[in-house]
Amino acid sequence: MNISITEAIALIDANNFYASCEQSINPHLRNKPLVILSNNDGCIIARSPEARALKIKMGSPYFKEKERLNKLEVAVLSSNYSLYADMSKRLMNLLKNYCEEIEIYSIDEAFVSISRPNDKNLYPWAREIRTLTYQNLGITLTIGIAENKVRAKVANKLAKNIDYSAGIFDLARKEDENSYFKEISVDKIWGIGKQTSIWLKSKGIKNAQELIDMKENEIFKKLGIIGKRLQLELKGYKCLPVEKNNKSKREIQVSRSFSTPITKLEDLTQALAIYAVRASEKMRSQSLQTSAISVFARTSKYSSQNYQRIVHKKLINATDNTNVILKIVVALSKEIYNPEYKLSKAGVLMQDLTKCQYLQQSLITYKSQEDMKKSENLMRTIDSLNKKYNKKAITWAITKKTKEWTINRNLLSRTSTTDIRKIPTIVI
Amino acid sequence: MDSFGLASERLKIPLLSDSISAGFPSPADDYTEENIDLNEHLISNPFSTFFLRVKGHSMVNAGIKDNDLIIVDKSLRAKTGNIIIAMVDGEFTIKRLSIKNNELYLKAENPNYPDFRFKNHIDIQIWGVVIYSIHSFL
Repeated sequence: MNISITEAIALIDANNFYASCEQSINPHLRNKPLVILSNNDGCIIARSPEARALKIKMGSPYFKEKERLNKLEVAVLSSNYSLYADMSKRLMNLLKNYCEEIEIYSIDEAFVSISRPNDKNLYPWAREIRTLTYQNLGITLTIGIAENKVRAKVANKLAKNIDYSAGIFDLARKEDENSYFKEISVDKIWGIGKQTSIWLKSKGIKNAQELIDMKENEIFKKLGIIGKRLQLELKGYKCLPVEKNNKSKREIQVSRSFSTPITKLEDLTQALAIYAVRASEKMRSQSLQTSAISVFARTSKYSSQNYQRIVHKKLINATDNTNVILKIVVALSKEIYNPEYKLSKAGVLMQDLTKCQYLQQSLITYKSQEDMKKSENLMRTIDSLNKKYNKKAITWAITKKTKEWTINRNLLSRTSTTDIRKIPTIVI
Repeated sequence: MDSFGLASERLKIPLLSDSISAGFPSPADDYTEENIDLNEHLISNPFSTFFLRVKGHSMVNAGIKDNDLIIVDKSLRAKTGNIIIAMVDGEFTIKRLSIKNNELYLKAENPNYPDFRFKNHIDIQIWGVVIYSIHSFL
């Protein structure tokens, strides 16, 4: 734990990421109000700055806003996650060249560590990254710089709120940091949840500066070591390292919302089977195997019914074999099914992931080596055929019947940067 | 593992392998190399490179024909003489970035199409530099 002036941490995030991705590859959307809808075209989940200026609210349901959006000539698109994932990958790789370590925190934000130059000034560095990302990807970044992660988050917020900051704010270089901390309400601090902020407010703690000045043992008693760390970070000590992402993922999740709620077991099983096939593919593409599988289902957050259930199954041998995983998922789907509820979302989770080469063979193996090799080859062949021809050239019969519940994406933007059949067309 | 490297995700199938257990080993086995990967040879900045499909004829004399696939590198700084993608008043176009009488303009490579002069348009932005055009002869 130390206050370091030579080592800086920055939180870099993309402004209006989804909308920027769309505007970047489609000139018709440039400088126009644009909103992106969540799966099933439910809610507004991203807005271009132009849409923001029209006071269109984040998170509001599409059906409520439809008329107004029409009148204001706002472009509306379903989310196009393969585009956003590709742009995110490009963004993170660009950032990687400009920092010492990078922790990808979400699709559009990353913590990076960087040493300060002799004059301690990181503005030229930050400006270069911003220019480069805008030129290469059409994406505008906000960069918050500080001594540690919690303060970098605060700095990022300040960079967004303060007009003259031009998207960059270095909190460690400010003499009058108290005045800035007073501007940050406690519920906006990274790591403070809803309950905690209610408790803090009941204690009269409303902003970051008051949290910094709060008695250490009072925080510790209520929030434990996590609260203590948070306060120390706000004070400028470094407690949370930038975690490199080359660690393999701890779990793989595939889940979707349904366009029409599911009430039949048959449909639930089929949905989960499709997710299981996808999750297995994902695992194999990263050379991972699972030794614990969970499946879950729940009712809509907006419905009057409230049901959610998750069940787990531990495996004796880690596997990446779709056949094995399907059998388990199909069995588990019966356990989470409840005919009384309209299910709006379900998913599968592959947990306790291990790298294939580190796999420990248990003493009792149910399959002979020969069989294992065979099924491994089969999976590999299926994956490569699917990669070569198209995503679902070969799949499992259970995933194939007609479905009424798939995701609704009526307004899907046609363009893609990863599928040659849908790349942007340019008329010359 | 490089969890977000593009190249590492590509599936590479070697031409030959050493799994033949009977008979003489192939004398060429030691010389087996990976397949030619066009990504590797054509693209030096994968994270800023995009593919687009061309419709139209304004660049035929530069060798860019209707339905060609073009590869665009957005990280390159456009120089005069380069073929570039520009956004002119909200539309993409491909033209040659040219200079005449000290004035920058976008030149069509087909006499039947007009050039774009920067001063005649409110909004011209260079989007990227075209590095290759791939044409199918079938």
